[in-house]
Amino acid sequence: MRAYIVRRLLLGVVVLFGVTLVTFFIARVIPSDPAARWVGGHPTAEQIARARVELGLDKPLHIQYLRYMGDLLRGNWGTSIRTHHPVLADIRAFLPASLELILSGILIAAVLGVPLGILSATRKDALPDHGARLVSIGAVSIPTFWLAMLLQLLFFGYLGLLPLGGRVDTVVRLTYPLQRITGSYLVDSLLTGNWPVFTNALTHMVLPALTMAAYPLGLITRMTRSSLLEVMGEEYIVVPRAYGIPRSVVYYRYALKNALGPTITVLGLTFAYSLAETFLVESVFNWPGLGQYASQSILSADYPAIMGVTLVVACTYVIVNLVVDLILAWLDPRIRLEG
Amino acid sequence: MKHAHRWGVLALVAVLAAALAVGAAGCAGKGPAKEKPEQPQVAVYISNEDPVVYWDPADACSNEVIVHNEIYETLIRYDPVADKFEPVLATDYSRSPDGLEWTFHLRKGVKFHNTGNEMTSEDVKFSVERAVQRGMGVSYIWDPVEEILTPDPYTVVFKLKYPAALDVVVASSYGAHIVDAKAVREHGEDWLSQGHEAGTGPYMLESWEKGGDYVFTKFPDYWRGWEGKHFDKIVFKTVPDAATARQMMEAGQADIAPNLTPEQIEGLRGKPGVAITEAPSWKTLVGPMNTKKKPLNNKLVRQAISYAVPYEEIVNTALQGHAIQSSGVIPKGLWGHAENLYYTTDLEKAKELLSKAGYPGGGFKLVLTYPSGADDVRRAAELMKASFARIGVDLEIRAMNWEQQWDLAKNPDPQKRQDILLYHWWPAYADPYDNLVNMFHTEEDILFNLAYYSNPRVDELMNKARETAGVDRARAIELYRQVQEIIMDDAPQLCLYDRKSVFALRTSLKGFRPNPAYQDVAFFYNCYREGE
Repeated sequence: MRAYIVRRLLLGVVVLFGVTLVTFFIARVIPSDPAARWVGGHPTAEQIARARVELGLDKPLHIQYLRYMGDLLRGNWGTSIRTHHPVLADIRAFLPASLELILSGILIAAVLGVPLGILSATRKDALPDHGARLVSIGAVSIPTFWLAMLLQLLFFGYLGLLPLGGRVDTVVRLTYPLQRITGSYLVDSLLTGNWPVFTNALTHMVLPALTMAAYPLGLITRMTRSSLLEVMGEEYIVVPRAYGIPRSVVYYRYALKNALGPTITVLGLTFAYSLAETFLVESVFNWPGLGQYASQSILSADYPAIMGVTLVVACTYVIVNLVVDLILAWLDPRIRLEG
Repeated sequence: MKHAHRWGVLALVAVLAAALAVGAAGCAGKGPAKEKPEQPQVAVYISNEDPVVYWDPADACSNEVIVHNEIYETLIRYDPVADKFEPVLATDYSRSPDGLEWTFHLRKGVKFHNTGNEMTSEDVKFSVERAVQRGMGVSYIWDPVEEILTPDPYTVVFKLKYPAALDVVVASSYGAHIVDAKAVREHGEDWLSQGHEAGTGPYMLESWEKGGDYVFTKFPDYWRGWEGKHFDKIVFKTVPDAATARQMMEAGQADIAPNLTPEQIEGLRGKPGVAITEAPSWKTLVGPMNTKKKPLNNKLVRQAISYAVPYEEIVNTALQGHAIQSSGVIPKGLWGHAENLYYTTDLEKAKELLSKAGYPGGGFKLVLTYPSGADDVRRAAELMKASFARIGVDLEIRAMNWEQQWDLAKNPDPQKRQDILLYHWWPAYADPYDNLVNMFHTEEDILFNLAYYSNPRVDELMNKARETAGVDRARAIELYRQVQEIIMDDAPQLCLYDRKSVFALRTSLKGFRPNPAYQDVAFFYNCYREGE
């Protein structure tokens, strides 16, 4: 088991190395002048020349890459051309907001999706199954940004029930200052007992989290349904049913556990997918997270920031995949992880 | 047992999730919390990009202007409408007859934020010398200054190399803010850039969060005092999406939003509680042409193209009236502006010029680039394409990210670059020289002279104008008129329009007066809330 994890992590490092190589060269092949951007709106030629030396842009590209990698290994992710802050500090500032959003979305998707999938499987081809099918296909196929705008229009525009965007109301934030611990407003306000901020942040979370939940919800529902149906045809399910063991016990005790494998794999993959989806959702809901940071960095050809975000996303993929495999092994002792 | 353990974890997750969902549903309808300890008067300003990249006022040269002018102050402030300078940190000033020595008398009893240090001539000298030494932002505006003397704590004397207009430099919206010398010396050179401030302005930094809120609170010891109605706190929010910004304005979640797109402005017009205010700005849309490549290397062709631009249509349709056609290369409202110096739309004249140049009926293709995302500029380009087609010129329009289009325009090989590019230019400080030197002065390594224009007579005249502006403004304006007449005749650049600044405001926000010399600055000290 330990050997397996070590091997996977080493493989992950190789993958990450490849990612840095590709991203660095693609980001630097795009025509743009980071030195001019660095000194700002009205640069003079001397300022640009000085910045070029300061940023090491006067060196050949492969030397720049080696320098970048050297710094990276020492924990220095470079300085953003656009914000002039260390990239790592920027990511640390923006990532918690995104994670808060993604986790809430996935939580909602799992909590609603699994029961919906079970319902769909146990009442196959009956009305609940058709309803669930409609919901899940709709959730997967609606474009995210459109769903986001529809939700805004309905809950903010017509009903006036939920806020339009942002993480918390300005006045609430100013009146009840929040101490930063994890960077997640919900967790921090819960830990410090700051109830006004907690409830306010929660209302701000509802719409973006629902939007984030749509795609994984559809996938999880369908996946749970199909794998459950497959399992229910197996002899070890048919036999206890024939012995008269109650249906609920058979389904929830024996069938579901065996059917959850594919669902968890999908859950892991959608987590990484969600990181990319936040680009759109954060923009519509004005959510100051990694997605917004990334899109602004791309628009201003801020290559250290682009590299940083790409690395974070790649790391997430590697780690989530590993974690999913470990969970699968834990759920199903037949799976052996060998080094 | 093992079973129970595994399922226990899953159950726990499910319960937590359910709690979150129920909690969210439960308090969804309630809105913000009920009892607030004491509610401060808060003004909210929406910015479409990060309000601050450079916290150090010596380095700033972009959007920071909206924040820095609330926390820092300059010696004097320029009012271009009245063409007057208002005293701020200096109570009065004078210049020697030869224009080479400018003396400023400082206000007594002005305190800096946090430290309570008094502002003296030492701080002024330190701030300017530090800006020059850092060489970032717009430090070049101090080029005329030879030496700064501080005969006593309340007097500053600037000795100049040539009689430049130092008043506009000292009043610049960038690079001329006075910082607390003691605080900066104590905390180190990089302290300001790390997100601190040391100003004398009405508001001081309370907290800021990247991509989130930038909060400022009133400085109790501000020298003007806090009599009358003012805001206790001001908040800057970054909202990149214009549709979201518009909805926030409609919902009363923000008080002021500059730079909304024309559609969002039209959508907001007439909405209860929202007012639209227009003000002149010094932002102009320019279209430098590639004067080193056929066919635009021919002056007659450039003139023909200038006659073929549908100016009125662009202003009325693409900009929905939020602009006026440019006259000369210095925007209306900035001294040095030249009236009645523009091309009309005259397709017959354009055809005639093309024939004269050896291109009867046109028959060539031009490539135009514009910054992607700028919808109004795209529409202007489309109108140009339609109009050019009528004189037989095929205009290919391409959207490019600003960085890329600028890089392409700077290409040392003129054959490889676009024929025309469109972008917005505005001067860094209230001096027409800034427009002229950047866009039309002969340049070895191309930076902003994107037409590759070079005319020794123009270079000479503009430098002469700069060096007379300090003693004889009228003479300088005359010289600037001459320069512009030559430039307009040579037609290296399309001068399309001077934009108007359009602000969406809550009607309850009073006292807001836009000033084009301080683009988009609210000067919140003068604002207050009434009604709502």
